[in-house]
Amino acid sequence: MTNVSAGTEIGPVPADRLRADADAAAGRARAGLVWTLIRTDFKVRYYGTVGGFVWALLKPLTMFVLLMGVFSFLFASEPNYKLNLIIGLFLWDFFAESTKVGLTSLHAKGFLLSKAKCPSWILVVTSISNAVITLAVFILIILVFLAGAGRMPTVEGMLMFVVYCVSFILIVMGFSLGSSVLFLRYRDLNQVWDVISQAGFFLAPIIYPLGILPERFHFYLFIWPPTAMIEFSRDVLVRGVIPTATAHVCLAGVVGISLGIGWLVFRRLAPRAAEFL
Amino acid sequence: MTIIEATGVSKAFRIPSVRRDTVREHMLGLLEPRRFEQLQVLDRISLHVNRGETLGIMGRNGSGKSTLLKILCGVYAPDSGQVTVRGPLTPILELGVGWNPELDAIDNVCLVGAVMGLTLPELRRRMDEILAFAELERFANLKLKHYSSGMASRLGYAVAFAAVREVLVLDEIFAVGDAGFKAKCEERFRQLHAAGHTIVLVSHVPHIIGHFCDRAILIDGAHTVVEGTGTAVAAAYVGMLTSPTVAES
Repeated sequence: MTNVSAGTEIGPVPADRLRADADAAAGRARAGLVWTLIRTDFKVRYYGTVGGFVWALLKPLTMFVLLMGVFSFLFASEPNYKLNLIIGLFLWDFFAESTKVGLTSLHAKGFLLSKAKCPSWILVVTSISNAVITLAVFILIILVFLAGAGRMPTVEGMLMFVVYCVSFILIVMGFSLGSSVLFLRYRDLNQVWDVISQAGFFLAPIIYPLGILPERFHFYLFIWPPTAMIEFSRDVLVRGVIPTATAHVCLAGVVGISLGIGWLVFRRLAPRAAEFL
Repeated sequence: MTIIEATGVSKAFRIPSVRRDTVREHMLGLLEPRRFEQLQVLDRISLHVNRGETLGIMGRNGSGKSTLLKILCGVYAPDSGQVTVRGPLTPILELGVGWNPELDAIDNVCLVGAVMGLTLPELRRRMDEILAFAELERFANLKLKHYSSGMASRLGYAVAFAAVREVLVLDEIFAVGDAGFKAKCEERFRQLHAAGHTIVLVSHVPHIIGHFCDRAILIDGAHTVVEGTGTAVAAAYVGMLTSPTVAES
C-alpha cells in the first residue's frame, strides 16, 4: 500500500489479510454507493421534503377517490369493493412506477457506466428504491384503512401480505434487470411497455371484481403477475383466507422465472452495455 | 512488480450500414438486411505498468487510446486478450461525471466519491479538504446547476484526487481552470507520483507526457508503434503529426 498511517503495523502483512482488508473496504464502499444512490434519488425526486413525498401518494389516492366515486355504484352489491379497490390501486401503482423506472435505469445513469467503473446491477436495483419506499407507505395506509373499516387483518394475514410484497419487488427486480439492458438496444421499449402496462391495468382485477368474469378465464388473468399479487393480498387482508399451497408454489415459480430470466439476460448483455450508450 | 498487465488485447466495433435503435426500426427492417463493417480499434496490444510508475498513452484522435483506457478500467470488455490489474484502480475518464445538477456540491461529492470507491466515513472526513481544494467552500450548499463549468470541473478534480487508491487512470483532463488551479493540479499529480501511486495517463499534450511520464506508448492504426521514455514518445508523436511517414517507418 502507498500510505502508512499512524498505528499501522510495521513489517510484512500476510497477503490474505491484505486481500481481506481490500475486500472489506470494497464492500463498505459498495454499501455506501447503494445508500448514496437511494438517498440522492429520493432527494431529487421529492426535493428532500416530506411535502414532496406527499405528491407521490396523491396520484393513487386521487385515482382511488375518482374510481370509488364512479364504480362503487356499479359494484354496489360488492361489500368489500372499497377495500379491494385501494389494495389493487396501490399495488398497481407500485408495479407501474417501478417497472417504468427500472426499464430506463441504466440509460438514465449511463454516464456512470461509460465514464466510471460502477457495477451496473447496483444502478438497476437502486432505481426502484423510491417505488419501494412508496410501497412501504402504501402498506401502512392500507392497514390504517382496514383498521378504520373495522377489518384489521390477523398477524398471519399481515405477514403473508409482506411476503407477497417482497415477491412483487423480486418480480419487478427481475423485469428491471432484463429490460434495462434491452432498452439500451431498443430505445422505444419504454413506449411498448407503456402500451402493455396500460392494457395490463384493465387485465388485472383492480377496478372490477375477478368474480364477474367466467372462471375459465381466471387462469389466463393469473399469468399476469399483478393479478396474483392483488388477489392474494385481498385474500389475506380482506377475505381472511390464505391461498392454497399450490398457489404459493406457482407464485414462487413466477418469482423464480422472473428473476432467473432477468438475471440471465442481464448477465449476457450487461458486459457490453457501455458500448450502447 | 507489475500492477497492470494487458496481453494481446483486441477490440473491434461493428458499424452497421444503417443504425437501428428501436423495436419499430428492427421490425420494419426485417426484409432489408444490414451490412456491418468491422472497425478494428485495438489489435493485439500488450502493455505492462510497474507499481509506482507513470505510463503515458499518446495517439491521434480515434487511435483507440480511450478505448484502451476503458478496457484497462473494466468499462469495456475486450474481444480477445487479457487484462490483469493487481490493485484498486480509480478511473477519471471525464471530470465531473455523474454530477446531478439538482443536488448541491456536498451531495454531488458524496455521489461521485461513492462511485469512485470512497466510503461514506471517508467522504465525511474529507469533505472540507475536497471543497477547499476546489476553492468552493462558500458554495457548498449551492445546487450544481448554478455552478459555472469551471467551478464544476474544479470540484471534479478535487473529488477525483481525493478518491485515488493505488492506481490512477486519467483521460485528457489537464485543461481545466486558470493558471493557478492548473499549477495546483500539477502539484497534486506530482505528490501522487512521489507517494508511489501508479498512474496511467492519456494526453495529446507532448509537454504533459514528456514531463510527467516515466514511460509512454504511441498508438496508431490499432497497434503500438512506439514505446519508450515519455520524452521520446512525445517527440515521436509530434513527428507523426507533422510528417506521418516518420512514425510509420
